[in-house]
Amino acid sequence: MSRGRLVLRKVGWAVMTVFFVITFNFVLFRVLPGDPAKAGVKDPRLSPEAVEHLQEQFGLNKPIFINTDPGPWYDSQYFLYLGALAQGDLGLSFQQKNTTVNELLGTALVNTLWLVMPAQIISIVLGVGLGLIAAWRRGTLLDTGSLSFALFTWSLPTFFLGIVLLFFGSRNLGLPTAGMVTVGTDYDSVWAAASDLLSHMILPTTTLALVLLGEYTLIMRSSVVEVFSEDYVLTAKAKGLTNRQIVRKHAFRNAMLPIVTLIALNLGFTVAGAIQVETVYSWPGLGKLTVDAVTKRDYPVLQGAFLLLAVAVIIANLIAELVYLRLDPRVTEV
Amino acid sequence: MTFWKAMSRHPRGIVGATMLAVAILVAIFAAQIATYPPPFIPEDLGIDDIFAPPSPEHILGQDDAGKDVFSQLVYGSRVSLTVGFAGALISVVVGGMVGLFAGYYGGRLGNGLMRLTDFFLVIPDLALQIVIVAILGPSLNNIILVIGLLGWTTTARLVRAQTLSVRNRKFVSRAEAVGASNPYIIFKHVFPQVMPLMLANMVLVVSLAILSESTLAFIGLGDPTVVSWGQMLYFAFNRGAVSAGAWWVILPPGLAIVWVVLGTTLLGNALEDALNPRSARHYLEKPPPLPPKLEGPVEVPEHAALSIRDLTVTYEGTSEPLVAVEDVSFDVLEGEAVGLVGESGCGKTTAMLGALRLLAPGAKVAHGTVMHAGEDLVRLSDSELRTLRWDSFSVVFQGAMNALNPVKKVGWQLSEAILTHAPEMSREAAEQRSGQLLDVVGIPAERAGDYPHQFSGGMRQRAMIALALAADPILVVADEPTTALDVMIQAQVIELLRRIRSETGSALVLITHDLGLVAESCDRVVVMYGGVVVEQGTVAEVFHDPRHPYTQLLLKAFPDLDDPERELVSIPGAPPRLDQLPPGCRFAPRCPFAFERCNEHRPELVQLGSRREAACYLLESVEVAAGV
Repeated sequence: MSRGRLVLRKVGWAVMTVFFVITFNFVLFRVLPGDPAKAGVKDPRLSPEAVEHLQEQFGLNKPIFINTDPGPWYDSQYFLYLGALAQGDLGLSFQQKNTTVNELLGTALVNTLWLVMPAQIISIVLGVGLGLIAAWRRGTLLDTGSLSFALFTWSLPTFFLGIVLLFFGSRNLGLPTAGMVTVGTDYDSVWAAASDLLSHMILPTTTLALVLLGEYTLIMRSSVVEVFSEDYVLTAKAKGLTNRQIVRKHAFRNAMLPIVTLIALNLGFTVAGAIQVETVYSWPGLGKLTVDAVTKRDYPVLQGAFLLLAVAVIIANLIAELVYLRLDPRVTEV
Repeated sequence: MTFWKAMSRHPRGIVGATMLAVAILVAIFAAQIATYPPPFIPEDLGIDDIFAPPSPEHILGQDDAGKDVFSQLVYGSRVSLTVGFAGALISVVVGGMVGLFAGYYGGRLGNGLMRLTDFFLVIPDLALQIVIVAILGPSLNNIILVIGLLGWTTTARLVRAQTLSVRNRKFVSRAEAVGASNPYIIFKHVFPQVMPLMLANMVLVVSLAILSESTLAFIGLGDPTVVSWGQMLYFAFNRGAVSAGAWWVILPPGLAIVWVVLGTTLLGNALEDALNPRSARHYLEKPPPLPPKLEGPVEVPEHAALSIRDLTVTYEGTSEPLVAVEDVSFDVLEGEAVGLVGESGCGKTTAMLGALRLLAPGAKVAHGTVMHAGEDLVRLSDSELRTLRWDSFSVVFQGAMNALNPVKKVGWQLSEAILTHAPEMSREAAEQRSGQLLDVVGIPAERAGDYPHQFSGGMRQRAMIALALAADPILVVADEPTTALDVMIQAQVIELLRRIRSETGSALVLITHDLGLVAESCDRVVVMYGGVVVEQGTVAEVFHDPRHPYTQLLLKAFPDLDDPERELVSIPGAPPRLDQLPPGCRFAPRCPFAFERCNEHRPELVQLGSRREAACYLLESVEVAAGV
């Protein structure tokens, strides 16, 4: 199969997966007991506009999937939902009056990225480095040490590590423990604002980075060991290359292949990790938004957040597969 | 049982199993161990009991409601382990079924099932768990169900891969041939083969399920009727343990989770390793220390390209080193072609890789010398050896598919070899030379921009030969250069080797079990059996007057071009295993002429002429008789 068609096919699968997730999302919030959409309409705390929008958005009197009554076959809740999604309309929040789900998700997504991106970058760089060195010095004290460390951090529940760091960070280092910025501060300069944000970021970012670091180290180590035992590494050695040259020119890129896939798959995990870290540190991101929506039964927000999280993972996976395609010339089939 | 033997080689697995066993015992005997049974409150509850630090009565202190932390911790193990094992069971049963059916039936059903698995793989687990538990309500059963039903994807992929490999084995196709029904085959033949891996995987899924349960509990979605570790942390965190500085409420439940998760992870990894051993060693490990310097000079014939003396290679064994190659000695003169022959497993490749210091980790040269270009390769420092590599001796490795880097262009790999030993050369010049080299082996120069997988098997082999010639070496070692090639391509490669030798004048060591190849392209033959040299001489001497019974039988097992009518007789039996080397002559157990002495002492090589020798007691008696 030509590589151009391969790319098209991957994109096609991603689109299909998004479609699956949308349908799954629709069914989940419509078919499960408790019927959240109807429950929302009955909620006495709702503003009249929200109820009206809800009625209109969900078409609650219409059939669920396909209209068998007179009228067009697509006049159903499902197609109404698809239509609204196609226009980028995720509805109104139950709880925050006159706020669209889009607005809430947008702000929260940006805040989560502030947390997740630095943590991912730090843990990838450190984990890849540590895994490479551990594999290279296989069997030495350095290897055993980093392996034990990685296994330990892997076994740590993210929220527990968060609480422990919060406990010591706030008591011994005087670091802020909640939110992204100190509420009610007027900053003298951009620098003051930046350093305020940074001091709020230290603990949650460290938590997330430590948890991710263990997994990257473990995967990189086993990937490097595998590549170092390949025949072409022996060829490179026989050619008279130094170990350093072998790693740089022959082993590193090949060993990175599984890491690329892991980074994408990990985005799903990062989101889960972010839910925990944001809960611990009251970080106003997607995770906290999701948890708050659960406790407040704010179903439109929950449904929107869920869709956003799933689509983010699908897109990350697609990117990883395309990167993989560029890195590995052998891939010729799906 | 081999499985337990394998496990015993994974001390981490034993540590993990012990950790898990401790947790299970605590859960079973919770009522006996806990000092304050549920609701965990001392009878004389007072204001001092709130966040009371550890004391003799409450060894892990008390929480915000005055509850005894230690007792809650002990009872919490029940919830964590129940959710962990029950959730993992559901995951593994569902994932196992999907994997089995997808792997066994393949085709549309299999692909469909795997696509479904892929779909579920992209849905963020925790978010979905939160949503479902929030809607269904946080009872223990719902939590188990949700964790179980969302954790099956990895098991499904693993089991499918395993089923696919089992499915292609003989006993399955045989069962199909006799008309067994599909469900019968799946459960009677495939399932038992997949089962161990599924169990190992289940142990790992347990640790994930325990983590999920504690996370849900921490979000506030734990079953309020029971106490779990995650819930203890939820209460601690939300009821001011941090500001109270009550570390004793935070650390114990968290570390308990780490204990169980670490234990199951260690055990699960060890089980997977034992069932599915992966290479843990690699070529860039620190090499073993070099043997001590030799006292006197080594005697080497004039114009020798390679002189191997008493080369012994050992592998690390479970108790003592295994001798793979023992006291091998032979010379390769400049421009000479020597065939190194013998059945597979006789130490031919190990001897040559040992001589060139290219052994896999775990194997080492125990003693002996290898003289090349005035240096002893066995005792040369790494950096000195590197300057000789490829420039002075090069290797055509067996299985050219993997010997070339799959993600680098063939031309780049050639240029790299050239530039490493001629750093002053420009890249353009190196690329031009690469093109010429490809041309020499009959590959159009413009294919230099291709990746190895774009070449056919024969082309890859020829590209490998081109690579070996990149730096005009004195000696080329070719390891089975024609196996896995079809007859036409074999002939091309043989012709190529011959032509190159006449053009470049480099010496050649040809490792092969193909005697015809040796007859056609070599000057001399060295026959190895069971790690030792049993005979050597010129091609004419050895082929027309083989003196060792092994050589004689080897020749009889091979078609003779002059006498195609001759019946081929294969040698019964197989070469000895390294851990079961016979005490006497290595060939004695398969030798039709063996007598008592052959089984007791190993015969020395008998000199039969200049560079002509064989190791057999029959010869000795003949020579002795002749001498008398």
